[in-house]
Amino acid sequence: MKSYLLSIFLFIFLAAGPVYGSDPIAAPVKTEASQAVVVADEVSEPAAETADTTVDPFEEEYHNGEYADNNAVAKEEKVEIADPLEPFNRAMFQFNDKLYFWMLKPVAQGYKEVVPEPARISVRNFFTNLGFPIRFLSCLLQADLSGAATEAGRFGVNTIWGIGGLMDPASSKELDLKMQDTDLGLTLASYGVGHGFYIVWPFLGPSSPRDTIDLAGRYFLNPLSYITPWYYPTGTKVVEVVNRTSLSIGDYESLKEAAIDPYVAMRDAYIQYRKKKIKRKNNKAGAAGVQLEQNLAKSGAN
Amino acid sequence: MLLIFTGSGAASASGPFGPPQTISREAGGLNTAIGYSYQEDRFEDNAQYVFRQNQIYSQASYGAQNRWEIYGRIGVSDLTISDAFASNNSSTIISSDRDFTEHWKFFGTLGAKGFLPVNKIVGVGAFLQGSYYFEHFQCEVAGTEAGAPFTADLKVRDLWDVNFGIGFQVTAPYDIKIYAGPYIYYSEAKANLSADIAGLAFGTQKISLENKAIAGGFAGVDVPLAKGFHLNIEGRYSERFSCSAAIGYRY
Repeated sequence: MKSYLLSIFLFIFLAAGPVYGSDPIAAPVKTEASQAVVVADEVSEPAAETADTTVDPFEEEYHNGEYADNNAVAKEEKVEIADPLEPFNRAMFQFNDKLYFWMLKPVAQGYKEVVPEPARISVRNFFTNLGFPIRFLSCLLQADLSGAATEAGRFGVNTIWGIGGLMDPASSKELDLKMQDTDLGLTLASYGVGHGFYIVWPFLGPSSPRDTIDLAGRYFLNPLSYITPWYYPTGTKVVEVVNRTSLSIGDYESLKEAAIDPYVAMRDAYIQYRKKKIKRKNNKAGAAGVQLEQNLAKSGAN
Repeated sequence: MLLIFTGSGAASASGPFGPPQTISREAGGLNTAIGYSYQEDRFEDNAQYVFRQNQIYSQASYGAQNRWEIYGRIGVSDLTISDAFASNNSSTIISSDRDFTEHWKFFGTLGAKGFLPVNKIVGVGAFLQGSYYFEHFQCEVAGTEAGAPFTADLKVRDLWDVNFGIGFQVTAPYDIKIYAGPYIYYSEAKANLSADIAGLAFGTQKISLENKAIAGGFAGVDVPLAKGFHLNIEGRYSERFSCSAAIGYRY
């Protein structure tokens, strides 16, 4: 059994590959089919200037005028991922697309009609609270003890005083215990495991070998997975998905409508979304490191 | 009033009553709590039995205007009935425990309270609260009857109570609420044994156990803690003492 699990992990590790430099998802690139999905905080990078530039009024107008915007767009960071399984992925994308429009969306719309929004938010809070084990474990595996403590506090407060997690008092201004936006995929990224190639799972959607481990972890660390018989966890999962969809109807439609190729748009959006999460996590870790260094320097000075 | 506060014969009812004034925000809002309560009550039919319970519960309340509140509780409780299996027949010898004991069973409570401030410090309020146990309690008794071994199950089912009380409240500095008042209540449970055993008070015929007396007194304090949390401690006394502690959170 152990050797079986080891070989699966080894396969995923090899498939994912190592992190390339400091950018864990700038792995093998397939450029021709990508669409730029702009991440807001990554666009404002100024254009590099060369030392021997002579001032030309037309050139100046070009740089300072309306063309500058286009230049900035050209400079925007394009994030791409290898897609060797594209035919399969496109088929799965179509499958998931039809599943959404033909089944999930109508059910979610009906659900939305009969269940008021505060109740749906409470249901979402409940399932989010049940996701505590994966966030807590991810924080521990990333040696983020502060994050782990925050998650434990959130879980305790929301379970006890949040009516089993239906409410979210931990996020209130007074308590200010914010949810740790992390998972096992980000944990693997912090260990240097690369994203690997793009894969679209039926029912589950966009992923990568690295994030597939997260999907598996979510299953095993979700308390609902251990309820028997099997149709109870399946039923609760359906409720969770329908409820979550009812709170975001229109998001997928907007993305699809704005895209020339929805498959590519979804792929780029997914990969940028994951990159942004990793960046945010790295920034947080960096800030914590600086804080620690400052504290050590202070204690050394004293 | 003092007589009612220390009234004879009565015991406490199910769960704490809390301060007469809601701790919810004036504009209206939720407050939730988790609490523990130790209960003692004397029930009677032909004989008298002391019921002891440990309750753990979660409470959600909605209140507004510092005047009113409705609340619900869900919790679990054990039950011990002292000397439930005591035999008054010398030919019946009980080999098992003479006490009825059963572990955690679910119960629910609903209540409402209103409060009328006399001035900024003093006020008076009233409440109505009822509880019901969704599951029955069951315990086995074993022994010999005229030399023949026997086992039988005692079931206590449909345990419920309803309480009404009036509370007087004084608000001390730091918004500490001190309160006390009298209450009246009614409790009932049905019980029957799976076999008729000579010398045991319970038999196959279902009997109704009711609380012996109807009145008691309660007193408590609600202390605001940091970050929206509150600590509530309450005691209820008649001939036996019951107490509760709860930590609440105001949204």
